[in-house]
Amino acid sequence: MKKILPIAFLGAAALIFPVSVKTIFLDTPIENQMGTVQKIFYFHVPLAWIMMLLAVVCGVAAGIQLRRDSKRAEAVSIAAAELVLVTGLGVLITGPIWGHATWGKAWTWDARQVSTGLLWLIFAAYVLVRHYGAAGSERLAAALAIFGAIDVPVIYYAVKIWKTTHPSNDVAGSLPASMWAALWPALIALLLTSIAVLLIRVQQELTDVTLDEAWVDLDDAGANKLEPTPAPTSGSGDA
Amino acid sequence: MVALRQAWLLAVNDLRQEARDLELILTSSFFSLVVLIMLGMSFSALGVSSQPLAVPGMLWLSVAFVGALTLGRIFTREREFDTLRALLVAPVERVSIYLAKAFVTLVILLGCSFITVLGLTLLFPAAQPFAERPWATAALVLMGCTAYAGVGTLFAAGLASSSGKNVLLSVILYPLTMPSLLFALVATRSLLEGHESFTTYLGQLTATNVLAFVVGAWLFEPVLVGVPQKRSGTARAARRRR
Repeated sequence: MKKILPIAFLGAAALIFPVSVKTIFLDTPIENQMGTVQKIFYFHVPLAWIMMLLAVVCGVAAGIQLRRDSKRAEAVSIAAAELVLVTGLGVLITGPIWGHATWGKAWTWDARQVSTGLLWLIFAAYVLVRHYGAAGSERLAAALAIFGAIDVPVIYYAVKIWKTTHPSNDVAGSLPASMWAALWPALIALLLTSIAVLLIRVQQELTDVTLDEAWVDLDDAGANKLEPTPAPTSGSGDA
Repeated sequence: MVALRQAWLLAVNDLRQEARDLELILTSSFFSLVVLIMLGMSFSALGVSSQPLAVPGMLWLSVAFVGALTLGRIFTREREFDTLRALLVAPVERVSIYLAKAFVTLVILLGCSFITVLGLTLLFPAAQPFAERPWATAALVLMGCTAYAGVGTLFAAGLASSSGKNVLLSVILYPLTMPSLLFALVATRSLLEGHESFTTYLGQLTATNVLAFVVGAWLFEPVLVGVPQKRSGTARAARRRR
């Protein structure tokens, strides 16, 4: 089941993704004001939602890891953080492309852009601490992930609290049916891919821990210790 | 109340030790002065109209740099003399250790900020509102430095207890303190330009402080000591991997 589920998700995503691309580029009408560049919306918005979802998953898993010392939660946290980096990069690339076309400026330093950039930086720091930190730094990284998850509501409410160039949160509800018809397949395909990669990375991390523990058990049993080389006895070399 | 009293006693003890050798105070103050001179040399040609946009950045970047230096050293004494373990086994609330260390960091940051604010007021005409509205400036600096100390102490403690590399402190510290520094930045700009929005931004900065301290106090114990290991091999395996 552990192996089948990611493959099933990836297979389903592989089927939905071409349908999604066809719907976005061929079936959905071109937006009047922005033109063809508006099509990036169907990738930018799902990626942003998935990024926020994964950041929350990472933060919750990190909290469980800190409180219960759960290796499974730690594995989920690592995998989710790496995916936040990937999806966040997608958001931070597609956003400025769309912004340049609509606002005439790729980066306007508005609150939602800054808080999203900040989220990406926090999870980049998380991955750096996990890779280069000494023993015990996994707890530090977990605390970082919790702070990262706290940034998610800030991203969501940024357009309500501060004056921003981003559209308000209500815009999703006012989308016409034709745009939702293109948004859903893109969201499902990207979500299924993310979940599949998450599951694969979680399994890899758990396998890594199991192998390490097996190595330590072997070490304790003395299997890894080299047999001492017998000292050469004098006079026996020519024998 | 007991935790607060313990925190106060620990902070007084740390400040007394600091008063004996002045290591942190002197090095951080000197570093503030050096940063100030560098900023003065770099931006002396700025026109008066552009200065209100640049001065807030100068102030809070200086605090960020000095803060990283201070936080890197705040647990060094415990590390060098191995007193962190003694502190952890002592009958003291863990949150008291966090509050005490954050308070000491805050005191040093406030001292350094005083030097920076004074220097900026002397060097840049647009920074005169700092002198004209001293209470507003004091509240702003206090709030900005508190958030920095709140978040920074948590991670400095984590690195000290995990025998971590100090370079990681900057990697962790800057992304996390950026929201409070941003609020402080816009509040400073509105103070210099005489906008009414100053109090709104100060309120938002205070809310960030509360959040930083609540989360910092909640996470301090698990980050510093963790939870008991279920399997002895796991910790050793993690160490082996690194």
